[in-house]
Amino acid sequence: MASAAANAVTVEGLSKTYNGTVRAVQNVSFDVRPGEAFGFLGPNGAGKTTTVSMLTGGLAPTAGHAVVDGIDVFRDPHAIKRRIGLVFQESTADSDLTGRENLELAAALFGVPRASTKQRVDSLLERMQIGDAADRLAKTYSGGMRRRLELAVGIIHAPRVLFLDEPTLGLDPQGRAGFWRYVQELRKENGMTVFVTTHYLDEADTICERIAIIDHGHLVAIGTPSELKDRLGGDVVSVRATRTGPEVEAVLRGLPGVVSVTKYDDSYRVKAPRGEELIPTLVEACTRAGVGLAGISLKRPSLDEVFLEFTGREYREDEGMTATDRALRVGQVQQAFGRSRR
Amino acid sequence: MMRELTALTRRELLRLARNPQAIATSLLLPILYLLLFGQAFNIGKFLEGPVLSFVLRGAPTYFSYFSAGMAGFVAVTATLFIGANVIFDRLFGVLKRTAASPATAVSIFGSRLIAGSIQPIGLAFLVLGLAILLGHLGLTGLEVTASVGVVGAVEIVLAIVILSVMFASLFLAIGFSIEQPQTYFAVVNAINLPVLLTSVALYPWGFLPGWLADVASYNPITLAVNVLRENLFAGATAYYPYGPAVYLLGLFGWAVVMNVLATLLAARALAPKR
Repeated sequence: MASAAANAVTVEGLSKTYNGTVRAVQNVSFDVRPGEAFGFLGPNGAGKTTTVSMLTGGLAPTAGHAVVDGIDVFRDPHAIKRRIGLVFQESTADSDLTGRENLELAAALFGVPRASTKQRVDSLLERMQIGDAADRLAKTYSGGMRRRLELAVGIIHAPRVLFLDEPTLGLDPQGRAGFWRYVQELRKENGMTVFVTTHYLDEADTICERIAIIDHGHLVAIGTPSELKDRLGGDVVSVRATRTGPEVEAVLRGLPGVVSVTKYDDSYRVKAPRGEELIPTLVEACTRAGVGLAGISLKRPSLDEVFLEFTGREYREDEGMTATDRALRVGQVQQAFGRSRR
Repeated sequence: MMRELTALTRRELLRLARNPQAIATSLLLPILYLLLFGQAFNIGKFLEGPVLSFVLRGAPTYFSYFSAGMAGFVAVTATLFIGANVIFDRLFGVLKRTAASPATAVSIFGSRLIAGSIQPIGLAFLVLGLAILLGHLGLTGLEVTASVGVVGAVEIVLAIVILSVMFASLFLAIGFSIEQPQTYFAVVNAINLPVLLTSVALYPWGFLPGWLADVASYNPITLAVNVLRENLFAGATAYYPYGPAVYLLGLFGWAVVMNVLATLLAARALAPKR
């Protein structure tokens, strides 16, 4: 681990136990480099929000140590609040104030100099494309406008570290793409470090330079998206045979180039560097061995696969999202940045 | 800290100003009491001379006696919902956002106390003004029979301000320590009526049984309306065992206790969770 002073965030042995029994976060250690976009992923109840709450001074840990932007969070939780930006997953803007009044209030609370408050507020309103609605009550804003207002409130004092806790939850694909575009622009301009928790693996894949996966309070993997995908050992061929057992597994393991074979429910996950080349051989070998095939599919390495690999279960996004929504969102997020990762 | 306090107080006042229905509703109660209850419940007409003076402790009519009591009572009723705003702000995330900022608990609590005390103070003086006006409109009105000097006026203002701050503190304390609105309203209702009915806001002193008179003597509404009645009615001081300054001191003691309690509860509610 690099020295605490060199990192934007350093976490060592962080643990949180509620009521002496519920172990929400257990001995978590990681660091975030200055200017980095760091993704903190995990399913509901994995410990993401608990970790963010501890790192932002809202929750006392049971054990451990954390330094954010040079401040020991648990020794001086008040000081850390002035140094960081925080965007919550739920809307926290005051509905009975206008967008401008929300920002002016935040500027006063975060100590933005009076002389520069108006300029800062005007600039953020324009930047977030809510300038035309600046003097309307926030309760009249659309979901996307409210999220952009939340982001503006979170960065009113130009923090060096910005925490985003599920910031795009509930937004439509276009709103998500727009939100992340603003975040990326801010990073480029100010070198701001971004710590983001999200349900959406494709967003994390596109935006984050490094990712940590937390499950049941434990950190189970950390690395760049490419590193994590490389750890899968290549493509995954999912095979559903008409029967299961050691002889089927032996057939699959005996195929050339197979890295590993793992059984999940009634399927086998066969890892191989070149999945598309393995499939004809696999079909032929199964036919020869008298193993019937009920289904076969090829999956390229993705964070979904990474998640499955490290947690033993599939990642579940919001259950109401259709496959079309998901495909559309992936396309729009990637289009927003003009790139995609394998 | 002053900047935080000013900004947060402005926020509270803007929200109040943008809710004219709440302001109109808060005006309704004292107006109905003055126009209906006060006019109809004119028990003074059955009494006269020294007996009347004894029963009402120097007030010329029951309406006059009652008007001063109403000024104290509205200072309580207008603060009832201050704590509910804390609960709704917590439910809607606004309190979470404020607690995540560097604003101190003292500023967050103080801004709500300042903004929350302005409305009851205004209403209390409105009641006194309206009660006097009714007398000029052919109805029974508040008759100020004493000459209220500068000291008296200051004492009246102080009594209403301290009473409002005290109850605003009490209801803020409840708001910061309770999470569910239903529980809040149940607790507030459980407090509101007993506080009114153990004070002399409505009862004539002379009708009270001894035990209730003893209890009422320490009630903060009683302490405040004693200050008003002693200053508004000629000869009233003869019926009160202490001067207005003593009652103000007692009221101040109540306010300090409630304020300290509420500040501690607010600080606990806004501190990092354990």
